[in-house]
Amino acid sequence: MQLTRLFFDLHLAIPVAIPLILLPGWRSSRYRRVVPVLLFVSMFLGAATTLLSWRTGQLPIVDLSHLLPFPFVLTLDRLSSLFVFLICAVTAATTVFSVAYIERHYGTGQQAWIWTFLPLFVLSMVLVVTAASAFAFLFGWELMTVFSAALVAADGDSPERRHNLLIYLLMMHAGAAAVAASFFLFLPYTHGLTFTQIRAAGGTLPGRTAIAIYLLAFLGFSTKAGVIPLHLWLPRTHPIAPSPVSALMSGVMLKTAVYGLVRFGFDFLPHPAAWWGYLVLLAGVVSSVLGILYALAERDLKRLLAYSSVENIGIIYLGLGAALIFQAYQAPMWASLALVAALAHTVNHALFKSVLFMGAGSVSTTTHTLNLDELGGLFARMPYTGATLLVACCSIAGLPLFNGFVSEWLTFRSFLAGATLPSPVAQIILPLAAGVLALVGGLAAACFMGLFGTAFLGRPRGVAAKSAGEVPFGMCLGTGVLALACVAVGVYPALLLGPLSLVAASLIPSGNVAQELSLLPRVLPILTTCVVGILLLAMAIPRATRVTAIWACGLPTLSPRMQYTPTVFSKPLRSVFAAVYRPNRKIEVLPADQPYFPVAVSYRSERTTSFEQSLYRPAVDAIVAAANQVRRLHTGNVQMYLLYIFLTLVSLLALVKVLR
Amino acid sequence: MTTAAANVLQYLLLVLGAPLLRALIARVKAVIQRRQGTNLWRPYADLLKLFRKEDLVPPDSSPLFRFAPMMLAASTFVAAALVPTVNQSALLAFAGDFIVLVYVLALGRFFMGLGALDGSSSFAGMGASREAMISALAEAPLLLGLIAVAILAGQGNIVEIVRWTLSQNFFDVSAVHAVAFAALAMVAIAETGRMPVDNPTTHLELTMIHEAMVLEYSGPSLALIEWAQAVKLTVVLSLLIGLFAPWGMAANLTLAGLALGLGAYLLKLVVLAIVIAVLESSIAKLRMYMVPEFLGIATALGALAVVFTALLRR
Amino acid sequence: MVLVDLAASKAMGSAAVLLFLTVLMLAAAKRMSTSIVAFALQSAVLAAQVLAVAHIHRSTESYVIGGLVILIKVLGIPYALFRLVDKLQAPRDVKLSLSPVYSVFITAGLIFLSFTAVHTYVQELRVSEDVLAAAVALILSGAFLMVSHGKALMQIIALLVLENGIFLAALITTFGMPMIIEIGVFFDLIMGVLLMGVFAFRIRDTFEHLDVSKLRRLRG
Repeated sequence: MQLTRLFFDLHLAIPVAIPLILLPGWRSSRYRRVVPVLLFVSMFLGAATTLLSWRTGQLPIVDLSHLLPFPFVLTLDRLSSLFVFLICAVTAATTVFSVAYIERHYGTGQQAWIWTFLPLFVLSMVLVVTAASAFAFLFGWELMTVFSAALVAADGDSPERRHNLLIYLLMMHAGAAAVAASFFLFLPYTHGLTFTQIRAAGGTLPGRTAIAIYLLAFLGFSTKAGVIPLHLWLPRTHPIAPSPVSALMSGVMLKTAVYGLVRFGFDFLPHPAAWWGYLVLLAGVVSSVLGILYALAERDLKRLLAYSSVENIGIIYLGLGAALIFQAYQAPMWASLALVAALAHTVNHALFKSVLFMGAGSVSTTTHTLNLDELGGLFARMPYTGATLLVACCSIAGLPLFNGFVSEWLTFRSFLAGATLPSPVAQIILPLAAGVLALVGGLAAACFMGLFGTAFLGRPRGVAAKSAGEVPFGMCLGTGVLALACVAVGVYPALLLGPLSLVAASLIPSGNVAQELSLLPRVLPILTTCVVGILLLAMAIPRATRVTAIWACGLPTLSPRMQYTPTVFSKPLRSVFAAVYRPNRKIEVLPADQPYFPVAVSYRSERTTSFEQSLYRPAVDAIVAAANQVRRLHTGNVQMYLLYIFLTLVSLLALVKVLR
Repeated sequence: MTTAAANVLQYLLLVLGAPLLRALIARVKAVIQRRQGTNLWRPYADLLKLFRKEDLVPPDSSPLFRFAPMMLAASTFVAAALVPTVNQSALLAFAGDFIVLVYVLALGRFFMGLGALDGSSSFAGMGASREAMISALAEAPLLLGLIAVAILAGQGNIVEIVRWTLSQNFFDVSAVHAVAFAALAMVAIAETGRMPVDNPTTHLELTMIHEAMVLEYSGPSLALIEWAQAVKLTVVLSLLIGLFAPWGMAANLTLAGLALGLGAYLLKLVVLAIVIAVLESSIAKLRMYMVPEFLGIATALGALAVVFTALLRR
Repeated sequence: MVLVDLAASKAMGSAAVLLFLTVLMLAAAKRMSTSIVAFALQSAVLAAQVLAVAHIHRSTESYVIGGLVILIKVLGIPYALFRLVDKLQAPRDVKLSLSPVYSVFITAGLIFLSFTAVHTYVQELRVSEDVLAAAVALILSGAFLMVSHGKALMQIIALLVLENGIFLAALITTFGMPMIIEIGVFFDLIMGVLLMGVFAFRIRDTFEHLDVSKLRRLRG
């Protein structure tokens, strides 16, 4: 217990200590070397804490309430320790990656800036998932927004970036307000807002309050998770952040929203109604389908990954929605299976999405571009990065032998169990949702086949890609470890499912899923053995190889520019789903007066995501119009303002008179 | 022990006999077109010849180019272990195995697409892009159809579904079965690259899908691809047979039972081969942009099959 | 005889499924000939249903009606329609006003709707739920076909589908209507098809087209 507590205290204290003690020496190169080491140690201690408390079953509690004007309690229960472990593991790998990455990309000031805020950002995430009182939670939640924004700002300054950051901050604060409101709605029914008190009140809430709490929490957390249509900030901030920070934001920060949703849906409010589940399911369907469709059309590597995060959050929501529906129909076993599926995808997405974002960082380190249309042939030039990214692409496409498949299989399995529920609506909706998941899986496979196939395979399409080389060892190590974890979980899922079943059991005590969960760990090693065995057999076939030119229809040679580009690769699917994209194409032939003898033809295609056009634009217009109306009241005349005050006073008095 | 032996035998029959089915379809087509047609054993001769030839590799390709066909073969051969054919069991059978089947096939296709893009040929890229579209759109109806049948049978595993179907009356056509069969048959056509979605015998690059994807392959790599493609066709057809017409499949491991099972299975395959040959000789290939429509209809049917499972239970 | 009993009961049992399939086929069809074949198949299922009812209730009248259905709806009208298509030399496509994918999805939705709609009446009427649902689905999808297709010929088929639905509903709720009414209905039907065929010719001759949307030009 002493050791656990000590580790936990140190884990939390180190990130705070870094700026307090070391910041005066931020100019020295020692600062840039010491901070990563300390951060890594802190992450190691955090992971050790979770493992220790997991093994001994003891909960380290940090109570700072006596220092602060509000109850500030941190603790590590099963759910929290899962997320703390995830944060620590991903951050540790990211730290290893970042040392070389940040050194290559940034000047002294920027480096010090990033190394100061990175530990604080991680600490704020740990605060969120370990908080055991509402104030601690909200405190961490706000810090998380502020520090992540500070990190995004490190990458330079331009009006567009400011605009994007402003959108990020605005949406995050709106979300935080919703979360705060949902906490405060508990107040009439408890004496305080520690989680123990909230839990005690949760079961006895009147129906309407519970609904209001849940809806507000859903809105708040969905904003953070980037669920469509609340995703607006996500593709704007993730691509402009430094790559390791994008990895953390996409891989881990989004998951705090999943944590919050699980906390509210399964811990605080034990009696969910079925329609809450359907709501989450609907959000999941919309986000996963639209997210992957937007990703498919992207040419910027990091924007593509950002949209794919939206899709994966959608898949997690599918599992969560199913879990809530099962919970509402009192099927605890399937509820915990679906919950395990959602949590498994949370972990898996954290692993492979971090690899992908860091890999994007590696690509930009050596080629200085993220435009997929200019890449190509990188696998031969950077084999280690290529191999890790290939693993991540297979994982995110949900292919067997990689970890994405484990969580998607579990989600399918729980949807299939929907047919056993008593309600005909659930019997129809849940299996149909499996169809949506299958569609999303197919589209994701197409999307990442295009990404890897065009950026890493074939021949380089530009000078940048041609002169690319492998990145330093540290960067390969950071991505490599996480990629290995993807394969390990994919081949032997017991690594992941064992702990997750305990987490699920702590939230849904009566749901015994051990039997369902023991299936994949038995099957996947056999499957892997078979695949690898046949692969070895095939490799053993004796063969001579000869390098020859490719078929060029009789032309002497094909230039690299004649290869299929990412844009063209996704064209068939984009034209199938043209209604989603609303493309805006423009073809110009020069000179205009001689259409049959063109000198140059220019083609421009733009897409606007339909939500901004049809959802946000009218809202913004309405607000601006309202503001214009209000502006009329501002005459600039002091007497006029005095009149307003006077009128307000009089009308208030009159109101009081009327009401009494 | 004997069950295991029977399973191994039926697996080997599927994997080794698969090229014969393609030859049979080609032969029936030849008869319809009043041509002589080739020997039924021709695919084996072709495979042997290809295995002995050298592998031609494009200049700028990575090792993945040669790895992809092996991955395709490995995943397809593993998929073959999941379907029961002669005997009412399979080498690998577990709850939810049909989901694994779908995704194992996707694994091979994913790597094949990468291999095609690695060749840096425009045609291969085009083939990969089209194949990616078709498989992305085929996944939903495929799983919906399988899920509908699984829900109807109340079983989560292919062998158990087959056993349940066998315990039903032959004539009891349920709406779920009919609609799910329609959906799965359409997907089977798209998945195996047959007419009207893809033409396996085309010689014009612009109309190819699967053939364009493997345009740059030769020698042992091509042999693996051809073999895997034949196995895939047989696997998909065997799945259709197992789910919708398993009658005759051996229930116990007597010699007579197995012989009957083998005879029934081969007969059903021959019938399907003839149906495919007749269809391919009588209809034209769909335009590329009609394929999504084709698969969209399959999706609607799959969804309807799932809805029926709930409606007919009341 | 046992075999006939079995066949009759199976015809009763699987009719609904087969009818749903023909309805979906009609919704997805892109050629006139496919639609006509689908209609003929649908009528054949209906005829089997009538004959099965006749066999179970031992009514000679129903046998006659069943024979008439085969004669007129399975053979006669499809043949006439095929000839009409030939004679008119119109393009072979059906001119759907929306994508066949949506058309199939909507038809699937209509089938779902008819199931939920008949659910409450099944107990009262003491008929099998899926056959009654099939009858309602035929009526609804007939109406939908009429709206979604632009060809005059296709609207004849849509009307026939609609009539099939009414026929089926009448058959299963009354276990066979009086012969004289049935024959009257058949007569109407034949006259209807003849008249519409003539009109189709006239439309084609006047507008050189079978597209109903062109009729807008008749407006004053």
